[in-house]
Amino acid sequence: MARADGDGAPAGGRFPLLLTASIDRPILFFGGKGGVGKTTMATRAALELADAGHKTLLVSTDPAHSTSDILQCDLGPKPRPVVADCWAMEIDPEQEADDYIAAVKERIREAAPPRLLTEVERQVDIARVSPGAVEAALFDRFTRILEEEGAEYDRIVFDTAPTGQTLRLLSLPELMTAWMSGLIKRRQKVGALAKMWRNVAGSETDDREHEDPILNALEERRGRFHRARQILIDSDRTGFVFVVIPERLPIWETETAVAALAKHDVPVAAVIVNQILPKAEAGEGTEGFLAGRRERESTYLARIRENLGDWPLLGVRLQESDPVGVDALRRIRAEVLGGTE
Amino acid sequence: MEAKPPLRDRIMRRLRAAKEIYEGVYIAPYRSTIHREYLRQHDAFMLLGFSDLLGVPNPIQFYMLESYPALIDEFHEWHVRMGMEHPPEGGFRCC
Repeated sequence: MARADGDGAPAGGRFPLLLTASIDRPILFFGGKGGVGKTTMATRAALELADAGHKTLLVSTDPAHSTSDILQCDLGPKPRPVVADCWAMEIDPEQEADDYIAAVKERIREAAPPRLLTEVERQVDIARVSPGAVEAALFDRFTRILEEEGAEYDRIVFDTAPTGQTLRLLSLPELMTAWMSGLIKRRQKVGALAKMWRNVAGSETDDREHEDPILNALEERRGRFHRARQILIDSDRTGFVFVVIPERLPIWETETAVAALAKHDVPVAAVIVNQILPKAEAGEGTEGFLAGRRERESTYLARIRENLGDWPLLGVRLQESDPVGVDALRRIRAEVLGGTE
Repeated sequence: MEAKPPLRDRIMRRLRAAKEIYEGVYIAPYRSTIHREYLRQHDAFMLLGFSDLLGVPNPIQFYMLESYPALIDEFHEWHVRMGMEHPPEGGFRCC
């Protein structure tokens, strides 16, 4: 049934469109202010793509486990099957940071001189609680998913954390690559000068003994950041879908966020306006609470059309009951609100 | 009168002296220039890698962790060179 009225053809219903009918790309991010329905829309999109026969992975970075909740299954840090062709996973940022620290300690135990082991481990433990640790671990996992799961699945749908955090995550590759490049450049000069110094000092040692593990580690990481960034800014492969509701603050925030993404060259695929009030029923009148809400909604929709109309605008009506479970999610449809196709 | 050392030894001694003069006049300044430049670049590297210790946010602090074992000795040289007898608060307690 989900497939029957796909392809954007108005099939007679009030909500004829699939969310992904016009925004199908290998990698989709769903973002927006907290509470606007990101998780619902991302999950719906993943189900649509899977129903269309694409091997799809839904990735949630929301520590609140809302994906488990609306899919009514227990998800973890590894992909688990939900329905045919659809897998889902939930990443817990704190757990990612712990795992990363554990992996670093493992490597340190192999490499560090025993007399310094305690000190290095203490230092690593300090870093674990420093600001930015969780973000960095999440970002590390994120770049791995883009590369590894990206090769394994036809579609990846990211259900991202609320806007601020997500924008930061998407802007990190740029910032970090630049910082890394500075560091690598210095390190290369240090290496070259050390070699020159050994030459004039008549040192007999072989250059291969001086291979720099730090340089190798930095370059490997920069390579991964760089590849992540290439994927993020490729509008053929990646699209960011904003979910917004026709209310003041979510609209304001989305306008800012869209501009921020543009600044970092991350392509916006569409804006989904969620929780649009149902049309007035016969005999409802033009007075009263709902009529007032509708009127306000229409001014907000006008603002959305004006300020976010550079992208395809899709509307999703306010549901009568919570869309929980695969069947309820599959009933969600969108309608074209305007904007650029 | 002392017997002259064999000719071969005399030649070798003069060659050694010439080599030392050459090193003193040409190589030594060159070597110290290289060394100074090495220290300068190394300082810049450590600053980028450990800027958080000096209060400058370091976006890749977390990714430096895996390099810590290799860097701890360099860290010690660095803080001594920077005129800090003891490592800065929050850094390796290397000494």
